[in-house]
Amino acid sequence: MTGKPGAATGGLYLHILVLAIVIVCELIGIQRLSIGLGTVIFLPILYAFALGILLNPAIFKASAKFLSKDAVRLSGAMITVAIMPFIAKFGTTVGPQISKIIEAGPALVLQELGNLGTILVAFPVAVFLLKMGREAVGATYSIDREPNLALIADKYGLNSPEGAGAMGVYATGTLIGTFVFAIMPPLVHGLGIFDVRALAMSCGVGSGSMLAACTGGLVAVVPDQKDIILALAAASNILTYATGLYVGMFVALPLTEWLYNKARPSERKTA
Amino acid sequence: MANQTNTTANLADDLPLNAEDERKIDVVKHSGLLLIACAIGLIANWVGTGTSPLVALPGMLVLYVACIIGLGFARFVPFYLPSVAWVSLIAILITIPGVPGAAWVSEQVEHLNFLALATPALAYGGLALTASEFAIARRSGWKIVIVAICVMVGTYMGSVVVADLFLRLGQ
Repeated sequence: MTGKPGAATGGLYLHILVLAIVIVCELIGIQRLSIGLGTVIFLPILYAFALGILLNPAIFKASAKFLSKDAVRLSGAMITVAIMPFIAKFGTTVGPQISKIIEAGPALVLQELGNLGTILVAFPVAVFLLKMGREAVGATYSIDREPNLALIADKYGLNSPEGAGAMGVYATGTLIGTFVFAIMPPLVHGLGIFDVRALAMSCGVGSGSMLAACTGGLVAVVPDQKDIILALAAASNILTYATGLYVGMFVALPLTEWLYNKARPSERKTA
Repeated sequence: MANQTNTTANLADDLPLNAEDERKIDVVKHSGLLLIACAIGLIANWVGTGTSPLVALPGMLVLYVACIIGLGFARFVPFYLPSVAWVSLIAILITIPGVPGAAWVSEQVEHLNFLALATPALAYGGLALTASEFAIARRSGWKIVIVAICVMVGTYMGSVVVADLFLRLGQ
């Protein structure tokens, strides 16, 4: 479809619209709302995503006039392209802090296994509280970003209950993940229990937007620790890119399967 | 609305399951798109922080080159590592104290606010959502929303608890 006339102008409109959204959101800037527990932080990336959704052709019909299906597809390709300078900038924060990163090394590596906390929290809620079926396996074994979704697609197919669960969490995470990861870390910091370095290195969950939201929120409440927050978050995110798929494949998914079979022995699959 | 007749498999067609497709990316085409993204990033940085695009330009050029090299590595290195991982590794390498030019690179990228650089990606993200993705979210219902929040809280807090524990042990 790339040779279709008008595809280039559709792309042009897309980039201009994005530029307009970006300018508006940056003008609004970071906003803080103090509540009893701590501070709720609102970041420009949240407004940008919300405005993008509001102007999305699938939601706002008038947009469809100048944003074609091709432009929407291009927008999808642009996410991965546009996040790259951000990821690069993030990487440059690691080098100068490399000795502090190495100092925190064991914690940094082992917190990757902490991502299994999703099974600890979400699995019981899904299976015992909400009485979900095998959807729970796909939904709760990981944070269900792209590589995790690909693993489920590969193992069960997306047409399966497991696939539906994983896709549901994927789509919901895409819609509200940035919001959750902007709000949660400053509130957890407000509890005063955890080392800010621990809060920072947990931001790397394998999603660029969640990483941005999480570190953005933390830096807004602890600005004097900005350098170390960015460096630790960046380092943990790289570790997640490198290990996430394998932890999912060899630890998280088999563990979730095993738990499900224990929880619902009557449904045990013969396959 | 038309999507209601689609099967789940059809809905899945639009999902970004192309994690492995980076082996086939067109580095030349991507370098053009990346140029657009960097230009918008410079303006985001300008509006958000007041730093003139001219002042931030050298830093952005460094990031641009790091991204292109990362894309090239993801495309041509015989084992698979996502381009974002390559980009990160290159960016780390060129800022480690002692590496030639590291101090200059750190100084230049300091003019760029990390959060402003993420704003364009999120705007594209909002515009890129397809009717299928909205349909999946709607169809999955409130249970999935609760589970998704538990998944995010669990993933984050699991890491926080483990990290905090080992940071304390290391002291």
